[in-house]
Formats: sequence, structure tokens, C-alpha cells
Amino acid sequence: MSKLLIDVGSTYFKICDNGNIEQYFRNFDKDISDDLMDTCAPIIKKYKKEDIKICSSANGGLSTLIIGLTESFSIRYAKHIAYNAGINIIDTVLYPKIEEYTPPFEILDVVIIVGGIDNRAKIFDEKLIEYLKNVKYRNIVYVGGKNDIEFLKKRVPEIKVFKNIIDNRLQINEEELKEYLTNLYQEDIVGREDIKHLYKITANQIYPTPYVVNKALPFVREKLNAVDPFIVIDIGGATTDIHYSRDLVDENVVMESEYDRLVFKKLGVYKSRENLIFSAKNNEFVYELLNYLNVTENIFEENSKESLKILMQLAIFLVLYKVSKYHELYIDLKLERLKSIVITGGIVKVLTKEDIEAILDFFYKKILKHHLIPSIVIDKNYEIWTIGMTKGIQ
Amino acid sequence: MKVVTGVVGNDIHVVANRLIEISLKERGFEVFNLGVNTYLEEFIDAVIETDADVLLISSLNGEAEGWCRDLFLYKQRFNFDKVTFVIGGNLGVGETKAEDIIPKYKSYGFDLVFHQIDLNEGLDILEKYLKEKRS
Repeated sequence: MSKLLIDVGSTYFKICDNGNIEQYFRNFDKDISDDLMDTCAPIIKKYKKEDIKICSSANGGLSTLIIGLTESFSIRYAKHIAYNAGINIIDTVLYPKIEEYTPPFEILDVVIIVGGIDNRAKIFDEKLIEYLKNVKYRNIVYVGGKNDIEFLKKRVPEIKVFKNIIDNRLQINEEELKEYLTNLYQEDIVGREDIKHLYKITANQIYPTPYVVNKALPFVREKLNAVDPFIVIDIGGATTDIHYSRDLVDENVVMESEYDRLVFKKLGVYKSRENLIFSAKNNEFVYELLNYLNVTENIFEENSKESLKILMQLAIFLVLYKVSKYHELYIDLKLERLKSIVITGGIVKVLTKEDIEAILDFFYKKILKHHLIPSIVIDKNYEIWTIGMTKGIQ
Repeated sequence: MKVVTGVVGNDIHVVANRLIEISLKERGFEVFNLGVNTYLEEFIDAVIETDADVLLISSLNGEAEGWCRDLFLYKQRFNFDKVTFVIGGNLGVGETKAEDIIPKYKSYGFDLVFHQIDLNEGLDILEKYLKEKRS
């Protein structure tokens, strides 16, 4: 029998019943499970618990602090693994300068400590212990060189130790940390009362949605006619994710996965609408862009189909701007090399190919001064998610 | 002894890079080869992660001058007392003389500068330098 696939998002549910995908806005007055059953009970009841697969991005993700020895290796590798395990919120501390950082106020879900290859002399000392005294966390994990393990186990007894993520050729070793973080994310999902109730209808593990999308990326070329190198922009209600082919980054780091993920946690069109508008108003090109789209800034005050469309176009523009060479805070993707842009998420139900083309045209010609725009692939039927749920996870 | 090596900047001389790696290994060094197209910050971070004794940067297209001039800033920021900084290859663009090039790179913070010198000759000098430094 075929499987019933369910995605619980921050704004709506998506259900794939025998290849037919429907989506329903969530009712936030109800528990997720009750809401789902009220809306889709006849469909759900057709399936056995073993044949129902659920993923969720509704929990907002885990908060993570990475303390690493260098930006180019320790921090970069740990970030890469954490993002690809589905984690959304990441802060970093560069260990040699740890005394200059103020510990975060909130309780962190996980602290990751990393640094050095295995046959390197000790790195961590009392500076780390002093800093950790002021950090509130639920889990702490060490994935660095061997020679610090004894010291850390003695001084931070609750620390979990996994295989060094930097191998002896300075390359990344993802598996153990990725598995740990994915499990932690899943425990977090399972631990949430409303998600916990979803296990009444499924006998399968509930996965984080970004993890599912990441698993689908190797199939995107073939299934969606995207040409490498490509990026996938997933604009949702609360966050915008960008998954990019590693060919777009100028770096020598060899990763196991061909794709990386970057999350803009306050760039969504429903839950984070205010933040999106704030971000837009602070962008130097936005007024020119609004003019190009034949609207004024009053559109931000409106609550119409037209304003939603403009906000979605702005979200695409802001994401591209933030990953371009003009914005140093995030990664610098070589967008001139880009062959395809794949658009997925709730946005595909609102924007047409022409709407997206208009934005790309403005961005490539005005900002990048480049006259060729990449091909646009719209994931109209949420194929990326479907592939991830059926082929990516077991 | 540990050596971090690679080709700096927008330089893709893979063959030279591979020869350097092989020659270093033959001389008994433990080599961390970052390959071509490497930025100075990555070299510095690799030295920190591996606790390397030597950073050996190579450059064949003359771009090193632009990419390496911030070395002294990194040397101020971190304690690299035990690290030997070496650069070699074709270090200038166009007609350049060693007597002009070498002082310039030394002022950036390199201990040994090999401009248009045979690889093995350069590595002999490096080994001699390291021996003297140790004693």
C-alpha cells in the first residue's frame, strides 16, 4: 500500500494521499493532532500507522552554541553538520577570543565544543570552564581532538564525547555528530506535547522537515530538470531556507554532502511578516525594486493578495541579496555561476514564473550586473518534499 | 614535523602543489595539503588546528603579493613563535628581481622567501633553517 505523507509546518499542514497533495491552514487554537484529525480524519483513517510518515518544522528548531578553535575548520564544519541535521539557530564563539564574548542569556539546547586534529597538543583550558559557568544548556558535546577529552570529562562531567569532526587530513567527519544532533532534534520534536500526540497516528519516526529536504537534493536534478549548480529556496511561514550546491562556494573544504543549508530564521511571509518588512525597509535597493514592481511602500500596510505576492517577491530578493557578495554577514555564493533556481514551499501557490522572473531580472541585472539569469524551476507539487519523504528517509 | 601547504589566491597550479606535497613527504614531514585556491585565513586556521611547525605557501602566478600582505596582522593576533612561515614560487608579476621581492615578503612576516628557486634547493634551505631554529 502507498504511504500517507504529512508535513506539519508553522502555518499549514501538507498531506500527500496517494500522490494527491492538499494543504490546510493550521488552527492555532487546537492541538496539532486534534487539528489534523478534525481536518483530515477520513484520509488518515484509510492508512495503517506503519504507512503514515510525518515530518515537522513547527517546533522552531534547537538553539545551538558552537565553541570552535577556528572559523575555517572547527566552526565551519560544526555549522555545516548542525544545519544539515535540521538545526535552525546557531551562535558561535571563536575559542581563542572567548574572553571577549558575552554568554547568551537564554537556555541553549546544545553546546558543541570543537577544535584540533587528534594528534594535536591540548587546546582547551580554564578559559572554557569559566565561560561555561555562565552558560545555561541542556546538552553539551565535544567533537574535537583526543588530547582534550580527559580534561573536559573531568571538568564538565555531563559532556558527551563523539568522534572528532576534523580528521587527520583536515577533512570533515560528519556521521557521529550528525546522528547525535538529528536524534536530539527528534527527541525535541517528540518531547513537545502537541507533536507527541502525533505518534498516536504514526508508527514511524517524525523527522525535521529541513532534514527531509536535504535528503531529497541529490534527486532534484533528475526529477525537476534543475541544472547544476542550483539552489533551492524554501520560503515558508516563519523561516526561509536556502539549500545550495557546494559548487557555488569558493572553498577547499571537502564535505561528504554536495549540498549545504543556510537558514534565515526571521524571514517568512506569515509568522515573521513584520521582520521581513523590517528587513526589506532596511535594504538600500528595496525602494527601487518596489518602483520596478509598480507599487509603493504602502503595500506593506495592506493585507491583500497583491501585498502577499510582493512580500514573497521581496523574500526571494532579500535571500539572494544576503547570500551574494554584497552582504558579508552570510556566505558568499557565486550566483553568477548559478544555472537553476528551484523555488519551493508555500510561496509556489502564490507566485507565478513571471513574478519570480521579474525579481531575478532585477537582481541579476541591477545588483549583479549580469545579463543571464538562471532557469527557474517551480516545485509546484512539492516534489522535493515528496522525494525526501519517500526516498530520503527510511 | 607538521607542514601546512597549498597554493594561495586564485591560483590553480595543481601539479606544482602536488610535487611540493610529495617532496615534503619524502623528506619525512607530515603534510596537510589545502590544495589550490586557498585563502590566507584558511592557511592560518589550518596551522592552528594542526599545531603545525611550518606554513609553506606556494604561488606561481604572482598573485601572492596581494593575498599575503596581511600575514603580519595574523602574527600579531595569534602566538606563532614556533611556526616557520615560508613562501615560494614565482612571487612577482612581470620582470621582477629577487633582491626587490624578498625584502617585501619578509616585511609581510615570512621567515624564508624563495623566488624562482628550484623546489629541492628551497626545501634543503628550509630543513637547514629548522635545524638551526631547534638548536
